[in-house]
Amino acid sequence: MTASLLRREGLVPLLRDLAETLEVVAPILVDGSAVFATWRGEEPALKADNPLNSPVEFFLPKREVLFRYVQYSGRYTFAEEPPKARLIFGMRPCDLRALEVLDRLFGADIPDHPYLARRRSTVVVVLNCTTPGERCFCGFLGSGPAAVGGYDLLLTDLGRGYLVEAGSPAGVFILQAHRCHFEEPLPEDHLEKERLLAGAEEELRGRRPALSPEVLKRAIEETDWEVAGSRCLSCGGCSLVCPVCHCFTVIDQGVPDGERLRCRDSCTLAGFSRMTSGANPRPSLGERLRHWYLDKFVYIPEKTGLFGCVGCGRCSRVCLSDVDRWSLLREGPR
Amino acid sequence: MEMIATTCVYCGCGCGLFIHVEDGRAVGVSPNPAHPISRGRLCVKGWLAADFVHHPDRLRAPLIRRGGRMVRSSWDEALTATAERLKEIRDEAGPGAVAVLTSAKGTNEENYLFAKLARAGLRTNNVDHVARLCHAPSVAGLGAALGSGAMTNPIRGLLSSDAILVTGSNTTEQHPLVAATILEAQSRGAALIVADPRRTQIASLADHRLAPRLGTDVAWINGLLNLIIEGGLADEEFIRERTAGFDALKESVSKYTPEVVEKISGIPPRDLEAAAAAFGEAPRAAVVYAMGTTQHSNGTENVLALANLVLATGNLGREGTGICPLRGHQNVQGACDMGALPNVYSGYQKVEDPAARGRMEAAWGTDLPPAPGLTAVEMMEAAKEGRLKGLFISGENPMMSYPDRGLVGRALESLEFFAVAEIFPTETTALADVVLPAASFAEKDGTFTSTERRVQRVRRAVPPPGEARPEVEVAAALLRRLGVPAEYASPEEVMAEIASVTPSYGGISYPRLGTAGLSWPCPDPDHPGTEILHKESFPIGRARFFPVELLAAGSDPEYPFLLTTGRSLFHFHTGSMTRRTHLLDRELPKPAVEMNPEDAAALGVRSGGRVVVESASGSLEVEARTTDTVPPGTVFFPFHFAEAPANLLTAADLDPRSKIPEFKRTPVRIRRLEG
Repeated sequence: MTASLLRREGLVPLLRDLAETLEVVAPILVDGSAVFATWRGEEPALKADNPLNSPVEFFLPKREVLFRYVQYSGRYTFAEEPPKARLIFGMRPCDLRALEVLDRLFGADIPDHPYLARRRSTVVVVLNCTTPGERCFCGFLGSGPAAVGGYDLLLTDLGRGYLVEAGSPAGVFILQAHRCHFEEPLPEDHLEKERLLAGAEEELRGRRPALSPEVLKRAIEETDWEVAGSRCLSCGGCSLVCPVCHCFTVIDQGVPDGERLRCRDSCTLAGFSRMTSGANPRPSLGERLRHWYLDKFVYIPEKTGLFGCVGCGRCSRVCLSDVDRWSLLREGPR
Repeated sequence: MEMIATTCVYCGCGCGLFIHVEDGRAVGVSPNPAHPISRGRLCVKGWLAADFVHHPDRLRAPLIRRGGRMVRSSWDEALTATAERLKEIRDEAGPGAVAVLTSAKGTNEENYLFAKLARAGLRTNNVDHVARLCHAPSVAGLGAALGSGAMTNPIRGLLSSDAILVTGSNTTEQHPLVAATILEAQSRGAALIVADPRRTQIASLADHRLAPRLGTDVAWINGLLNLIIEGGLADEEFIRERTAGFDALKESVSKYTPEVVEKISGIPPRDLEAAAAAFGEAPRAAVVYAMGTTQHSNGTENVLALANLVLATGNLGREGTGICPLRGHQNVQGACDMGALPNVYSGYQKVEDPAARGRMEAAWGTDLPPAPGLTAVEMMEAAKEGRLKGLFISGENPMMSYPDRGLVGRALESLEFFAVAEIFPTETTALADVVLPAASFAEKDGTFTSTERRVQRVRRAVPPPGEARPEVEVAAALLRRLGVPAEYASPEEVMAEIASVTPSYGGISYPRLGTAGLSWPCPDPDHPGTEILHKESFPIGRARFFPVELLAAGSDPEYPFLLTTGRSLFHFHTGSMTRRTHLLDRELPKPAVEMNPEDAAALGVRSGGRVVVESASGSLEVEARTTDTVPPGTVFFPFHFAEAPANLLTAADLDPRSKIPEFKRTPVRIRRLEG
């Protein structure tokens, strides 16, 4: 059994069963907005915009304790916490693509154990995007609106219920273990899925002209970054909200006992590239913005074969200077 | 992971954000897309707003000074010692010898209870807070001219302005969400006029930039008014129907021809004329101002000049117009609203008004003193002279934030007793007799009132560290020890009491405070709140013009430079939170005085070299940084840094009307430090 149908009214009971053994994370409504948080029995907010806090946060927290250190009689002992067993429900294909990029970065060369441990202990249930958000542009980057692999379970909202497909042994196991919630899909359910996703794809492609990596690279070179930077308010939001951004800094807090923390960093901040002497190879906001784009569209593709941008549109949603970041590349700054 | 919806702790924008909580720890922050101000966006401080919460420096246990050393004590012991010492001093030396300083970082509920502690508990009106150092001139000036000292229009309304005059506000760094709104309005076609001696980011993006000499605001604002009136751009109908005193204003400003203004302020006539046309011709124009306007020894006059400008052009009471004093702290508006001021109860009900006093006496069940008390800086002077002997401070750091640090240090040391409730050790707690560990914004429930009068919820996301407690509990415990009943089961019950005694908060209760909060005045439980003030009439009937004059700017040959102080984007005030936020501190890790390259060359100083800056109040050594964002003759220095406190240099020269000190214009001399 690799595909099943989950009726709408079966969703909450399924999550309730899953939550008995795993921490279930899902988009829920808090104070008027959908956010990814621990699910506590409410109706998941699957129709709302993809939450601003990407579920990638559960693999690479903005602030994580790598270990605690305790000094006793002149000797240090170190304590690490094991990762939680989690199921992330309702992750979108763009965020799944972000995980694939991070897998290639954090799984290569020097493996990043805290990340990989969380990756291993987390079940990923992806929701295909049949109604793309206003600022989304995943269609062009190949990171949506449909997921093509890398998930444990994949849901597509067909209206009368969700078509659920397994993409891993863990996914098959969930379908088996919780079969009471599922029923056999009809052959036309698969056709309906294809029809809905083709519609979403068409809508996304209609929004943006197709640009190749070469064209993107040239657009980055030709953009007047000093003009773009002149209106940037240095909030760092674009890089702090990006599901692919992963740069971090490590700090120790506490003497003699304390914690080694890994915190999200941002290359749009001057201190990120400032050298010990005080000199800075990217002193202006424009130069740092340019660097951010180069990383996404040139450096990360060179390393991983995947774009460092998944088209989720979060950077545009949080931008304080209201720069539509995609238009910036397409048309140059306003 | 839980997501707790709350309100940002930094500036007055009042952004709605989520604190991400994992196992009782704050692990991140993200903006709330449904919130009317943040709209899914935050500034860099907002994104990092919870980073200081679990810092190991947090105060975790009450401390009492014994034999010159701070010793850990129980809460009961610390609270009893505090209440008894203040009571003894009050009984021996009179209620004028004790005072309370509350905190603009605290909630409304805390400010209300600390004001009640002063008035009902200690029987003194000696209660004030840091608003004295920021918008006291707005409360005084706009209160006199319009009848209300608060921002008249909502931040979002700026999107429908046709012209926006920003003066004395480094908006992109100090109120980034307001700046974002202004820049969005500019993109939609609004003319942006920015007056600032420094070329700040918003000044560099202005359509019309005015660069007046420091301290000459009254002259160029009068000059703008003169050109607007002469050019027939005044709103005669508005002036006739809704104001009083225009003729005297017209005569007063007629002296300020573009040539006279140029002589005083250095603004070329064509720049002034272009700005006057842009502002005067706009159907809807708004004025946005902040500390650069108010922190002068003529701060109230600066505010009155701006009030004259919006009144003469009829830019009040409509969408897209208004006068917008941007409040610096996230709850400095609320602290004022709660009556943490020496002359008013909550809702600006005057202590001198027998009817208002009678109502508060009935509500609190006690007699209340009729005469206004001491203002913040006056408290320091009184302490130094021995008239003030006991002080309770909630979350303020006068050693860093008040003018003339030398005077403040002597004042605090002269006190017989003072206690401080704080979240981190500060330069002020170091001198205290009792230190009480307080809960931070992430650890308590309550409300903050933003710069646009929006009352919003603050929610506890994580438990306080160690034995730290929310200050609502501290204030209530002190009130009980002073014999005033104060049994509040929660901050919500405190808000119910606030609503019952404060007409403008009469309709505010926690269940009504949704994502967007409520803007006061909100007099009853069915009232939808008031986003735009003065739509039909002013609280004083007709608004009043107050002519103000400035015909010469002084200079001092002994101190040839003018020092102006302020904040940076990456730090907040005295840095107790931001200097403990790794990314923010890394952005600006050390103090530097900013000077024009021409001045640096004349002094033989290179960028990064050390200089001595001296004023009549004091001197300090600091690194120089050259930048052409400051004009020749002016230097800028932020006051975040304990290792080089800018307020060693500033003087406690007070504006006679509002008692605000002169922070923005201190004559100094500078020399290169050898070696």
